[in-house]
Amino acid sequence: MTRRRVAVTGLGLVSPYGGDPADFFARLLAGESAIRFLRTDDVPRPLAMPFVSCAGFSADAMLGRALAGTLDRFAQLGVAAAFAAWDDAGFPRKEAVPDRESWGVAWGTALGGTLAYEKGYRDLWQRGRERLSPLSLIQGLNNAANAHISIQFGLGGVSMTHTVACASSAIAIGEAFRRVRSGEAPVMVSGGSDAPQAYAVARAWEALRVLASGDENTAPQSCRPFSVDRSGLVLGEGGAALVLEDWEHAVARGARIHGEMLGYGTSCDHSHLVRPEAAGQVRALEAALADAGLTSGDIDYINAHGTATAEGDPVEVAALRAVFGERAARLPVSATKSMHGHQLGAAGAVEAIVTVLALREQALPPTAHLADLDPACAGVDHVVTVRRGQTLRAALSNSFAFGGSNAVLAFRAVA
Amino acid sequence: MDSLTIIREFLDSRLEIAPERVLPEAKLDDLDVDSLMLAEIMFEFEDRFNLTLRRNLKSPRTVGELVALMDRLRSEQG
Repeated sequence: MTRRRVAVTGLGLVSPYGGDPADFFARLLAGESAIRFLRTDDVPRPLAMPFVSCAGFSADAMLGRALAGTLDRFAQLGVAAAFAAWDDAGFPRKEAVPDRESWGVAWGTALGGTLAYEKGYRDLWQRGRERLSPLSLIQGLNNAANAHISIQFGLGGVSMTHTVACASSAIAIGEAFRRVRSGEAPVMVSGGSDAPQAYAVARAWEALRVLASGDENTAPQSCRPFSVDRSGLVLGEGGAALVLEDWEHAVARGARIHGEMLGYGTSCDHSHLVRPEAAGQVRALEAALADAGLTSGDIDYINAHGTATAEGDPVEVAALRAVFGERAARLPVSATKSMHGHQLGAAGAVEAIVTVLALREQALPPTAHLADLDPACAGVDHVVTVRRGQTLRAALSNSFAFGGSNAVLAFRAVA
Repeated sequence: MDSLTIIREFLDSRLEIAPERVLPEAKLDDLDVDSLMLAEIMFEFEDRFNLTLRRNLKSPRTVGELVALMDRLRSEQG
Protein backbone atom coordinates (compact mmCIF):
# COMPACT_ATOMS: atom_id res chain seq x y z
CA MET A 1 0.00 0.00 0.00
CA THR A 2 1.28 3.44 -0.89
CA ARG A 3 1.99 5.52 2.14
CA ARG A 4 1.12 9.19 1.98
CA ARG A 5 3.21 11.75 3.83
CA VAL A 6 1.34 13.47 6.66
CA ALA A 7 1.68 17.19 7.33
CA VAL A 8 0.64 18.99 10.50
CA THR A 9 -1.09 22.08 9.10
CA GLY A 10 -3.19 23.28 12.03
CA LEU A 11 -2.58 23.74 15.75
CA GLY A 12 -5.26 24.86 18.19
CA LEU A 13 -5.40 25.18 21.94
CA VAL A 14 -7.54 26.15 24.85
CA SER A 15 -4.88 26.34 27.51
CA PRO A 16 -4.41 28.01 30.89
CA TYR A 17 -2.09 30.46 29.12
CA GLY A 18 -4.68 31.29 26.45
CA GLY A 19 -5.24 30.11 22.91
CA ASP A 20 -2.13 31.23 21.03
CA PRO A 21 0.19 28.25 20.47
CA ALA A 22 3.24 30.48 20.02
CA ASP A 23 2.60 32.26 23.32
CA PHE A 24 1.82 28.94 25.02
CA PHE A 25 5.16 27.56 23.86
CA ALA A 26 7.05 30.72 24.87
CA ARG A 27 5.63 30.40 28.39
CA LEU A 28 6.77 26.79 28.58
CA LEU A 29 10.25 27.74 27.35
CA ALA A 30 10.35 30.32 30.14
CA GLY A 31 9.43 27.65 32.69
CA GLU A 32 6.21 29.40 33.65
CA SER A 33 3.83 27.23 35.64
CA ALA A 34 0.08 27.61 35.09
CA ILE A 35 -0.73 25.56 38.18
CA ARG A 36 -2.75 27.35 40.85
CA PHE A 37 -4.52 26.35 44.04
CA LEU A 38 -8.17 25.47 43.47
CA ARG A 39 -10.68 25.82 46.28
CA THR A 40 -14.35 25.21 45.48
CA ASP A 41 -17.43 25.96 47.57
CA ASP A 42 -18.65 22.37 47.56
CA VAL A 43 -20.25 21.05 50.72
CA PRO A 44 -19.60 19.31 52.99
CA ARG A 45 -15.97 19.41 51.87
CA PRO A 46 -14.63 21.71 49.15
CA LEU A 47 -12.10 20.63 46.58
CA ALA A 48 -8.78 22.08 47.67
CA MET A 49 -5.88 21.07 45.45
CA PRO A 50 -3.36 22.33 42.92
CA PHE A 51 -5.17 22.51 39.59
CA VAL A 52 -4.88 24.02 36.13
CA SER A 53 -7.90 26.03 34.94
CA CYS A 54 -8.51 27.77 31.64
CA ALA A 55 -9.86 30.76 33.51
CA GLY A 56 -9.70 33.12 30.55
CA PHE A 57 -11.75 30.87 28.30
CA SER A 58 -15.19 32.17 27.31
CA ALA A 59 -17.25 29.51 25.56
CA ASP A 60 -19.86 32.08 24.55
CA ALA A 61 -17.23 34.26 22.89
CA MET A 62 -15.44 31.39 21.16
CA LEU A 63 -18.44 29.34 20.06
CA GLY A 64 -21.45 31.64 20.21
CA ARG A 65 -24.05 31.32 22.94
CA ALA A 66 -26.34 28.94 21.05
CA LEU A 67 -23.65 26.31 20.49
CA ALA A 68 -21.92 26.84 23.84
CA GLY A 69 -25.19 26.28 25.70
CA THR A 70 -25.60 22.86 24.12
CA LEU A 71 -22.18 21.60 25.21
CA ASP A 72 -20.64 20.29 28.39
CA ARG A 73 -17.39 22.02 29.42
CA PHE A 74 -15.22 19.23 27.95
CA ALA A 75 -16.86 19.63 24.55
CA GLN A 76 -16.69 23.43 24.73
CA LEU A 77 -12.93 23.18 25.29
CA GLY A 78 -12.61 20.65 22.49
CA VAL A 79 -14.70 22.39 19.85
CA ALA A 80 -12.98 25.71 20.60
CA ALA A 81 -9.56 24.08 20.20
CA ALA A 82 -10.70 22.51 16.92
CA PHE A 83 -11.98 25.89 15.69
CA ALA A 84 -8.55 27.37 16.42
CA ALA A 85 -6.71 24.54 14.64
CA TRP A 86 -9.06 24.75 11.66
CA ASP A 87 -8.55 28.51 11.36
CA ASP A 88 -4.80 27.99 11.70
CA ALA A 89 -4.89 25.48 8.85
CA GLY A 90 -6.64 28.09 6.71
CA PHE A 91 -9.88 26.20 6.07
CA PRO A 92 -13.24 27.99 6.00
CA ARG A 93 -15.42 26.92 8.93
CA LYS A 94 -18.29 25.28 7.07
CA GLU A 95 -18.36 24.59 3.43
CA ALA A 96 -20.75 22.16 1.76
CA VAL A 97 -18.22 20.80 -0.67
CA PRO A 98 -18.25 17.16 -1.76
CA ASP A 99 -14.58 16.49 -1.04
CA ARG A 100 -15.14 16.94 2.68
CA GLU A 101 -17.26 13.79 2.69
CA SER A 102 -14.08 11.78 3.33
CA TRP A 103 -12.54 14.17 5.86
CA GLY A 104 -12.92 13.15 9.49
CA VAL A 105 -12.40 13.60 13.18
CA ALA A 106 -10.63 11.42 15.73
CA TRP A 107 -11.01 12.79 19.24
CA GLY A 108 -9.85 11.77 22.70
CA THR A 109 -11.36 12.23 26.12
CA ALA A 110 -10.91 10.32 29.35
CA LEU A 111 -13.96 11.67 31.16
CA GLY A 112 -16.28 13.03 28.49
CA GLY A 113 -19.46 14.68 29.72
CA THR A 114 -18.95 13.87 33.39
CA LEU A 115 -19.77 17.41 34.52
CA ALA A 116 -23.18 17.26 32.85
CA TYR A 117 -24.08 14.05 34.63
CA GLU A 118 -22.71 15.36 37.90
CA LYS A 119 -24.96 18.39 37.59
CA GLY A 120 -27.85 15.98 37.05
CA TYR A 121 -27.03 14.03 40.20
CA ARG A 122 -26.76 17.25 42.19
CA ASP A 123 -30.12 18.43 40.88
CA LEU A 124 -31.83 15.15 41.67
CA TRP A 125 -30.21 14.13 44.94
CA GLN A 126 -28.98 17.37 46.45
CA ARG A 127 -31.59 19.89 45.32
CA GLY A 128 -34.51 17.46 45.41
CA ARG A 129 -35.59 18.12 41.85
CA GLU A 130 -37.68 15.53 40.14
CA ARG A 131 -36.55 15.96 36.54
CA LEU A 132 -33.63 17.01 34.44
CA SER A 133 -33.15 19.38 31.56
CA PRO A 134 -33.48 17.69 28.16
CA LEU A 135 -29.98 18.97 27.47
CA SER A 136 -28.49 16.70 30.13
CA LEU A 137 -28.16 13.73 27.83
CA ILE A 138 -26.93 15.77 24.87
CA GLN A 139 -24.28 17.45 26.99
CA GLY A 140 -23.25 14.21 28.62
CA LEU A 141 -22.50 12.34 25.41
CA ASN A 142 -18.87 11.31 25.38
CA ASN A 143 -18.79 11.71 21.60
CA ALA A 144 -20.24 15.22 21.71
CA ALA A 145 -16.96 16.94 20.83
CA ASN A 146 -16.19 14.92 17.71
CA ALA A 147 -19.82 15.09 16.56
CA HIS A 148 -19.99 18.87 16.88
CA ILE A 149 -16.62 19.30 15.16
CA SER A 150 -17.87 17.24 12.19
CA ILE A 151 -21.07 19.29 12.07
CA GLN A 152 -19.31 22.65 12.33
CA PHE A 153 -16.79 21.88 9.57
CA GLY A 154 -19.08 19.78 7.38
CA LEU A 155 -16.90 16.66 7.60
CA GLY A 156 -18.55 13.51 6.29
CA GLY A 157 -15.90 10.87 7.02
CA VAL A 158 -15.11 8.98 10.18
CA SER A 159 -16.04 10.77 13.41
CA MET A 160 -15.22 9.03 16.66
CA THR A 161 -13.90 9.42 20.17
CA HIS A 162 -11.23 7.29 21.77
CA THR A 163 -11.40 6.84 25.54
CA VAL A 164 -8.08 5.48 26.73
CA ALA A 165 -7.51 7.41 29.96
CA CYS A 166 -4.36 9.55 29.78
CA ALA A 167 -3.44 8.27 26.31
CA SER A 168 -6.83 9.11 24.77
CA SER A 169 -5.81 11.95 22.49
CA ALA A 170 -2.40 10.49 21.63
CA ILE A 171 -4.19 7.41 20.40
CA ALA A 172 -6.76 9.57 18.60
CA ILE A 173 -3.93 11.41 16.82
CA GLY A 174 -2.26 8.12 15.95
CA GLU A 175 -5.46 6.69 14.52
CA ALA A 176 -6.09 9.89 12.55
CA PHE A 177 -2.51 9.76 11.26
CA ARG A 178 -3.05 6.24 9.94
CA ARG A 179 -6.14 7.30 8.04
CA VAL A 180 -4.32 10.16 6.34
CA ARG A 181 -1.23 8.09 5.61
CA SER A 182 -3.29 5.31 4.03
CA GLY A 183 -5.06 7.77 1.75
CA GLU A 184 -8.44 7.09 3.34
CA ALA A 185 -8.85 10.70 4.44
CA PRO A 186 -6.91 13.67 3.05
CA VAL A 187 -7.64 15.74 6.16
CA MET A 188 -8.31 14.71 9.75
CA VAL A 189 -8.98 16.89 12.79
CA SER A 190 -7.61 15.24 15.87
CA GLY A 191 -7.00 16.08 19.49
CA GLY A 192 -8.67 15.86 22.84
CA SER A 193 -10.34 17.65 25.69
CA ASP A 194 -11.24 17.06 29.31
CA ALA A 195 -12.62 18.95 32.27
CA PRO A 196 -11.70 16.94 35.37
CA GLN A 197 -13.01 19.43 37.91
CA ALA A 198 -16.14 17.33 38.42
CA TYR A 199 -16.33 16.96 42.19
CA ALA A 200 -16.58 13.18 42.33
CA VAL A 201 -13.87 12.76 39.69
CA ALA A 202 -11.41 14.98 41.52
CA ARG A 203 -12.20 13.28 44.82
CA ALA A 204 -11.71 9.86 43.19
CA TRP A 205 -8.26 10.92 41.96
CA GLU A 206 -7.51 12.20 45.45
CA ALA A 207 -8.47 8.83 46.92
CA LEU A 208 -5.94 7.13 44.68
CA ARG A 209 -3.19 9.17 46.42
CA VAL A 210 -1.50 10.21 43.19
CA LEU A 211 -2.28 13.95 43.28
CA ALA A 212 0.45 16.45 44.08
CA SER A 213 0.24 18.17 47.43
CA GLY A 214 0.39 21.94 47.59
CA ASP A 215 -1.27 25.03 48.99
CA GLU A 216 -1.90 28.61 47.89
CA ASN A 217 1.80 29.40 48.04
CA THR A 218 3.34 26.20 46.76
CA ALA A 219 0.82 25.14 44.09
CA PRO A 220 2.76 26.55 41.09
CA GLN A 221 5.75 24.37 41.99
CA SER A 222 3.74 21.35 43.10
CA CYS A 223 4.24 19.16 40.01
CA ARG A 224 7.86 18.01 39.96
CA PRO A 225 8.41 15.14 37.50
CA PHE A 226 11.62 13.11 38.01
CA SER A 227 12.39 15.04 41.20
CA VAL A 228 13.30 13.12 44.33
CA ASP A 229 10.63 15.04 46.25
CA ARG A 230 7.83 14.70 43.66
CA SER A 231 4.42 14.13 45.20
CA GLY A 232 2.15 13.40 42.27
CA LEU A 233 0.30 14.80 39.30
CA VAL A 234 -1.80 17.95 38.96
CA LEU A 235 -5.15 17.70 37.22
CA GLY A 236 -6.05 20.31 34.64
CA GLU A 237 -8.68 21.17 32.09
CA GLY A 238 -8.01 21.97 28.47
CA GLY A 239 -8.44 21.23 24.82
CA ALA A 240 -5.92 20.77 22.03
CA ALA A 241 -6.32 19.97 18.35
CA LEU A 242 -4.15 19.29 15.32
CA VAL A 243 -5.07 19.23 11.67
CA LEU A 244 -3.33 16.33 9.95
CA GLU A 245 -3.27 16.61 6.19
CA ASP A 246 -2.05 14.67 3.20
CA TRP A 247 1.27 16.31 2.35
CA GLU A 248 0.53 16.83 -1.33
CA HIS A 249 -2.92 18.20 -0.50
CA ALA A 250 -1.31 20.70 1.87
CA VAL A 251 1.39 21.73 -0.60
CA ALA A 252 -1.13 22.09 -3.43
CA ARG A 253 -3.16 24.62 -1.48
CA GLY A 254 -0.09 26.45 -0.19
CA ALA A 255 -0.70 25.57 3.46
CA ARG A 256 1.83 26.37 6.16
CA ILE A 257 3.31 23.10 7.41
CA HIS A 258 4.29 23.11 11.10
CA GLY A 259 5.89 19.68 11.01
CA GLU A 260 5.62 16.18 9.61
CA MET A 261 4.05 13.32 11.49
CA LEU A 262 6.05 10.20 10.83
CA GLY A 263 4.85 7.41 13.07
CA TYR A 264 2.66 6.01 15.79
CA GLY A 265 3.26 3.10 18.12
CA THR A 266 0.86 1.64 20.62
CA SER A 267 0.95 -1.27 23.03
CA CYS A 268 -0.55 -2.61 26.24
CA ASP A 269 1.37 -3.59 29.35
CA HIS A 270 -1.19 -6.36 29.88
CA SER A 271 -0.10 -6.69 33.48
CA HIS A 272 -1.77 -4.20 35.83
CA LEU A 273 -4.35 -1.46 35.62
CA VAL A 274 -2.37 1.29 37.35
CA ARG A 275 1.20 -0.01 37.76
CA PRO A 276 3.11 0.78 34.55
CA GLU A 277 5.63 -1.66 33.08
CA ALA A 278 8.74 -0.65 31.16
CA ALA A 279 8.41 -3.61 28.79
CA GLY A 280 5.06 -2.38 27.48
CA GLN A 281 6.37 1.16 27.04
CA VAL A 282 9.43 -0.17 25.22
CA ARG A 283 7.15 -1.95 22.76
CA ALA A 284 5.28 1.29 22.05
CA LEU A 285 8.51 3.28 21.64
CA GLU A 286 10.02 0.68 19.31
CA ALA A 287 6.79 0.41 17.35
CA ALA A 288 6.70 4.19 16.85
CA LEU A 289 10.32 4.25 15.66
CA ALA A 290 9.73 1.37 13.26
CA ASP A 291 6.50 2.89 11.98
CA ALA A 292 8.32 6.18 11.38
CA GLY A 293 11.23 4.49 9.62
CA LEU A 294 13.59 5.94 12.20
CA THR A 295 16.23 4.55 14.50
CA SER A 296 16.87 5.63 18.07
CA GLY A 297 19.82 7.66 16.75
CA ASP A 298 17.46 9.92 14.82
CA ILE A 299 15.59 11.20 17.87
CA ASP A 300 16.70 14.51 19.35
CA TYR A 301 13.96 15.09 21.95
CA ILE A 302 11.41 13.17 24.01
CA ASN A 303 8.37 14.88 25.46
CA ALA A 304 7.88 12.52 28.37
CA HIS A 305 4.60 11.36 29.82
CA GLY A 306 6.24 12.42 33.13
CA THR A 307 3.29 12.86 35.46
CA ALA A 308 5.41 13.12 38.64
CA THR A 309 3.95 10.02 40.28
CA ALA A 310 6.23 7.90 42.45
CA GLU A 311 5.77 4.81 40.31
CA GLY A 312 5.44 6.22 36.82
CA ASP A 313 8.52 8.38 36.33
CA PRO A 314 11.26 5.78 36.98
CA VAL A 315 9.48 3.24 34.77
CA GLU A 316 9.35 5.70 31.87
CA VAL A 317 13.06 6.51 32.24
CA ALA A 318 13.84 2.78 32.39
CA ALA A 319 11.95 2.28 29.13
CA LEU A 320 13.88 5.13 27.49
CA ARG A 321 17.19 3.68 28.71
CA ALA A 322 16.23 0.29 27.29
CA VAL A 323 15.32 1.68 23.86
CA PHE A 324 18.09 4.27 23.50
CA GLY A 325 20.91 2.29 25.11
CA GLU A 326 24.20 4.14 25.43
CA ARG A 327 22.73 7.18 23.70
CA ALA A 328 20.09 7.62 26.43
CA ALA A 329 22.45 9.68 28.55
CA ARG A 330 22.61 12.26 25.74
CA LEU A 331 18.88 12.10 24.91
CA PRO A 332 17.10 15.36 25.83
CA VAL A 333 13.92 14.63 27.80
CA SER A 334 11.44 16.95 29.45
CA ALA A 335 8.05 16.66 31.13
CA THR A 336 6.04 19.79 30.46
CA LYS A 337 3.21 18.64 32.74
CA SER A 338 5.34 20.33 35.41
CA MET A 339 3.90 23.59 34.01
CA HIS A 340 0.64 22.89 32.15
CA GLY A 341 -0.54 20.05 34.38
CA HIS A 342 -2.22 16.84 33.32
CA GLN A 343 -5.26 17.35 31.08
CA LEU A 344 -5.98 13.60 31.06
CA GLY A 345 -7.65 12.90 27.73
CA ALA A 346 -6.27 16.11 26.26
CA ALA A 347 -2.72 15.61 27.51
CA GLY A 348 -1.50 13.65 24.51
CA ALA A 349 -2.67 16.36 22.12
CA VAL A 350 -1.28 19.19 24.28
CA GLU A 351 2.09 17.47 24.32
CA ALA A 352 1.96 16.60 20.62
CA ILE A 353 1.65 20.35 20.03
CA VAL A 354 4.58 21.00 22.38
CA THR A 355 6.63 18.46 20.43
CA VAL A 356 5.73 19.92 17.03
CA LEU A 357 6.55 23.43 18.27
CA ALA A 358 9.86 22.28 19.76
CA LEU A 359 10.85 20.98 16.32
CA ARG A 360 9.50 24.02 14.51
CA GLU A 361 11.15 26.52 16.84
CA GLN A 362 14.28 24.38 17.41
CA ALA A 363 13.97 24.97 21.14
CA LEU A 364 13.39 22.63 24.06
CA PRO A 365 11.07 23.42 26.97
CA PRO A 366 12.27 22.28 30.39
CA THR A 367 10.95 20.05 33.12
CA ALA A 368 10.24 22.79 35.63
CA HIS A 369 11.19 22.52 39.32
CA LEU A 370 13.68 19.73 38.74
CA ALA A 371 16.44 20.76 41.15
CA ASP A 372 17.02 17.43 42.80
CA LEU A 373 16.88 14.49 40.40
CA ASP A 374 15.66 11.16 41.76
CA PRO A 375 18.53 8.70 41.14
CA ALA A 376 15.90 6.23 39.94
CA CYS A 377 15.11 8.67 37.11
CA ALA A 378 18.73 9.20 36.05
CA GLY A 379 20.24 8.04 32.77
CA VAL A 380 18.73 10.48 30.29
CA ASP A 381 19.59 14.12 29.56
CA HIS A 382 16.98 15.96 31.63
CA VAL A 383 16.28 19.41 30.20
CA VAL A 384 15.89 21.67 33.24
CA THR A 385 16.04 25.06 31.56
CA VAL A 386 15.21 26.27 28.08
CA ARG A 387 17.68 24.90 25.55
CA ARG A 388 18.47 26.17 22.08
CA GLY A 389 21.30 25.68 19.66
CA GLN A 390 21.02 21.94 19.15
CA THR A 391 19.68 20.72 15.82
CA LEU A 392 16.38 18.98 16.42
CA ARG A 393 15.54 16.57 13.62
CA ALA A 394 12.86 14.33 15.06
CA ALA A 395 11.10 13.87 18.37
CA LEU A 396 8.75 11.54 20.21
CA SER A 397 5.81 12.31 22.48
CA ASN A 398 4.96 9.67 25.09
CA SER A 399 1.54 8.99 26.59
CA PHE A 400 1.21 6.10 29.03
CA ALA A 401 -2.25 5.50 30.45
CA PHE A 402 -3.91 3.77 33.36
CA GLY A 403 -5.09 0.52 31.91
CA GLY A 404 -1.59 -0.10 30.63
CA SER A 405 -2.28 1.43 27.22
CA ASN A 406 0.75 3.17 25.74
CA ALA A 407 1.00 5.49 22.76
CA VAL A 408 4.05 7.15 21.22
CA LEU A 409 3.87 9.72 18.42
CA ALA A 410 6.80 10.56 16.15
CA PHE A 411 7.28 13.93 14.43
CA ARG A 412 9.98 15.43 12.18
CA ALA A 413 11.05 19.01 11.67
CA VAL A 414 10.48 20.52 8.24
CA ALA A 415 13.02 22.80 6.68
CA MET B 1 -45.55 36.70 33.41
CA ASP B 2 -47.31 35.99 30.12
CA SER B 3 -46.22 33.11 27.89
CA LEU B 4 -44.89 35.32 25.09
CA THR B 5 -42.58 37.14 27.52
CA ILE B 6 -41.26 33.83 28.86
CA ILE B 7 -40.49 32.68 25.32
CA ARG B 8 -38.83 35.98 24.46
CA GLU B 9 -36.67 35.95 27.58
CA PHE B 10 -35.63 32.38 26.96
CA LEU B 11 -34.70 32.90 23.32
CA ASP B 12 -32.83 36.09 24.15
CA SER B 13 -30.70 34.46 26.84
CA ARG B 14 -30.18 31.12 25.13
CA LEU B 15 -29.88 32.06 21.42
CA GLU B 16 -29.39 35.84 21.55
CA ILE B 17 -32.55 36.35 19.49
CA ALA B 18 -33.81 39.92 19.78
CA PRO B 19 -37.26 39.98 21.47
CA GLU B 20 -38.72 42.11 18.66
CA ARG B 21 -38.16 39.18 16.26
CA VAL B 22 -40.22 36.86 18.44
CA LEU B 23 -43.64 37.71 17.04
CA PRO B 24 -46.70 35.44 17.09
CA GLU B 25 -46.53 34.81 13.35
CA ALA B 26 -42.78 33.98 13.39
CA LYS B 27 -41.98 30.40 12.45
CA LEU B 28 -39.93 28.52 15.05
CA ASP B 29 -37.74 27.11 12.26
CA ASP B 30 -36.86 30.63 11.15
CA LEU B 31 -35.76 31.45 14.71
CA ASP B 32 -33.49 28.35 14.77
CA VAL B 33 -35.73 26.71 17.35
CA ASP B 34 -35.29 23.03 16.56
CA SER B 35 -36.89 20.10 18.38
CA LEU B 36 -34.16 20.11 21.03
CA MET B 37 -34.54 23.82 21.68
CA LEU B 38 -38.30 23.39 21.85
CA ALA B 39 -37.80 20.68 24.47
CA GLU B 40 -35.64 23.14 26.43
CA ILE B 41 -38.31 25.84 26.27
CA MET B 42 -41.01 23.43 27.41
CA PHE B 43 -38.77 22.23 30.25
CA GLU B 44 -38.28 25.83 31.34
CA PHE B 45 -42.01 26.34 31.17
CA GLU B 46 -42.79 23.19 33.18
CA ASP B 47 -40.21 24.21 35.73
CA ARG B 48 -41.46 27.73 36.17
CA PHE B 49 -45.12 26.81 36.61
CA ASN B 50 -44.63 23.38 38.14
CA LEU B 51 -46.57 21.72 35.35
CA THR B 52 -46.17 18.33 33.76
CA LEU B 53 -46.73 18.16 30.04
CA ARG B 54 -48.17 15.19 28.29
CA ARG B 55 -45.56 13.52 26.10
CA ASN B 56 -47.72 13.34 22.99
CA LEU B 57 -48.32 17.05 22.52
CA LYS B 58 -48.44 18.23 18.92
CA SER B 59 -45.35 20.31 18.17
CA PRO B 60 -46.12 23.99 17.55
CA ARG B 61 -44.78 25.51 14.32
CA THR B 62 -45.02 29.20 15.16
CA VAL B 63 -44.47 31.39 18.20
CA GLY B 64 -48.23 31.99 18.28
CA GLU B 65 -48.98 28.25 18.41
CA LEU B 66 -46.42 27.85 21.19
CA VAL B 67 -48.01 30.68 23.17
CA ALA B 68 -51.47 29.14 22.68
CA LEU B 69 -50.17 25.77 23.88
CA MET B 70 -48.61 27.27 26.97
CA ASP B 71 -51.71 29.34 27.77
CA ARG B 72 -53.96 26.31 27.43
CA LEU B 73 -51.79 24.17 29.70
CA ARG B 74 -51.60 26.89 32.32
CA SER B 75 -55.38 27.27 32.36
CA GLU B 76 -55.91 23.47 32.46
CA GLN B 77 -53.42 22.76 35.23
CA GLY B 78 -53.29 26.11 36.98
